Amino acid sequence: MSETAQHAPADWLDVLPCCVGEILIRRTEAGEFSLCHREDAEMESLRIEREAEAAAELARYDDSGRYRPLKTAPNLQHGWTLLLGRAEDARLALAYFYPGRAAAYQAWKKETLRITALRQTLARQTGMYRVAAGISDEEADALVGNFCKSDGGCLRTILWRRDAAGAVPSTLLPRVKFDPGFDQTGRGEAALPLLCQEACNLLVAEARKVVKTSE
Amino acid sequence: MTRDFSHAALLIVGHGSTVNPDSSRPTLAHTAEIRRRAIFGEVACCFWKEESSLRDALFFFQDASIREVYVVPNFISEGYFTQTVIPRELELSGRCTERVSGQVWNYCDPVGSHPMMTDLLLQRAHDVAPGVPEGETTLLIVAHGTSLNDNSAVAAKREAEKLRELNRFAAVLNLYMEEPPLVADWAKLTDTRHVVVVPFFVSDGLHSYEDIPVLLGIEPKAAGSATDRRSTAELFRQNPHKLHGRELYYARSIGTEARFADVIVQQAEAFAELKSGRELVEGLVA
Ligand code: SF4
Repeated sequence: MSETAQHAPADWLDVLPCCVGEILIRRTEAGEFSLCHREDAEMESLRIEREAEAAAELARYDDSGRYRPLKTAPNLQHGWTLLLGRAEDARLALAYFYPGRAAAYQAWKKETLRITALRQTLARQTGMYRVAAGISDEEADALVGNFCKSDGGCLRTILWRRDAAGAVPSTLLPRVKFDPGFDQTGRGEAALPLLCQEACNLLVAEARKVVKTSE
Repeated sequence: MTRDFSHAALLIVGHGSTVNPDSSRPTLAHTAEIRRRAIFGEVACCFWKEESSLRDALFFFQDASIREVYVVPNFISEGYFTQTVIPRELELSGRCTERVSGQVWNYCDPVGSHPMMTDLLLQRAHDVAPGVPEGETTLLIVAHGTSLNDNSAVAAKREAEKLRELNRFAAVLNLYMEEPPLVADWAKLTDTRHVVVVPFFVSDGLHSYEDIPVLLGIEPKAAGSATDRRSTAELFRQNPHKLHGRELYYARSIGTEARFADVIVQQAEAFAELKSGRELVEGLVA
């Protein structure tokens, strides 16, 4: 097990306060779980929400009301705080903000997270996405470098490699993009990673576009 | 409900969308509702085009107490997604797949093939046009049509036939967006004063907000966008739409119906019944 994995808590809520992606999780004096945007940590007069389900709506749109197709993109809306009494509800809220990420994190901790190389993901596609496998290494390097970058793209830590031989996902990304110990928001704080164990459907769709345009 | 699902998990699979914020709403709502009922040990959902992805779901339900997982596709019909994409992404080898841990994943029928669908369509027609006499009403079940990917046109036809057999409405027709009988021809195809239209889709979206209204003539072309909530709410508030001397009632997609949650649970129950029946028979033979 890597040193980062060894020192990381087994579960997101084990050590509070903590940061996950753009979210800060704290315990209030009354013992409630409080979630807010990390950039709103010092803000007073935040809109208070008390249902875990409210997280689904908060996660759906960015500050300007645009739909967020990728929940781990660095564009979580501001101005709210979610107060929840039970850890169970805090977990549920986090599952709306960052769907599937806690499960991936726990599997990573237990060393059961299966990582799939980009080439493997692309080769598995059928139907309209089958052509995506035709992307060249150079094109994939450029695409991943742009699409997955933490600054404006996606806050996940990439665990997959480009191919079975272990080529880096993109030479254009800094090494820390592959380091679960690094705070991808660039704030340099201690933060739990949002792991990417396999290329998402959005990246596969982009790969298809690249192939289609170069045809 | 008598079966004990406390050591089982339910995984609801939706399509999701990268452009339409309403696509995953019904699946999320049904998931939350079923979770509230505390029937299953765990309840989660995943999507083809959204997070959690189908691949993420491979790492769900790690608790050793979860011995079985029921996978229910929130799709209208069998087709490319239920037959190719879901089994491939979830690594299902058949109706029952045993994982290395011994956990068994049961692959259930999609919601749209449940017999309760007919009731839900009927209910939706009543809700959208309360008090309107059925005998003077044509009910239109609308599906996409000419899609290589699914059999939703066949499913809509089947439902229309079942509704026709009930002999309650003056007429029941299955219409399609892209193949005859065409939605655009609704006025020619019907002769009753009242017409009720129910989109046979699992969620609202571009088709139900824009395409079908345009084909029906109840929405000026490109007036709103699928993400413009005000214009879409208006679409349903304006019922009945008066045109061609008729009163047309336009309903939300059938999948937004809260009772879809019941159908999802029932698909898992039906699978469990079938499986225990088979095990019983095999046990008797053995
Ligand atoms: S492939 Fe992973 S890192 Fe890249 S955009 Fe998708 S989720 Fe983010």
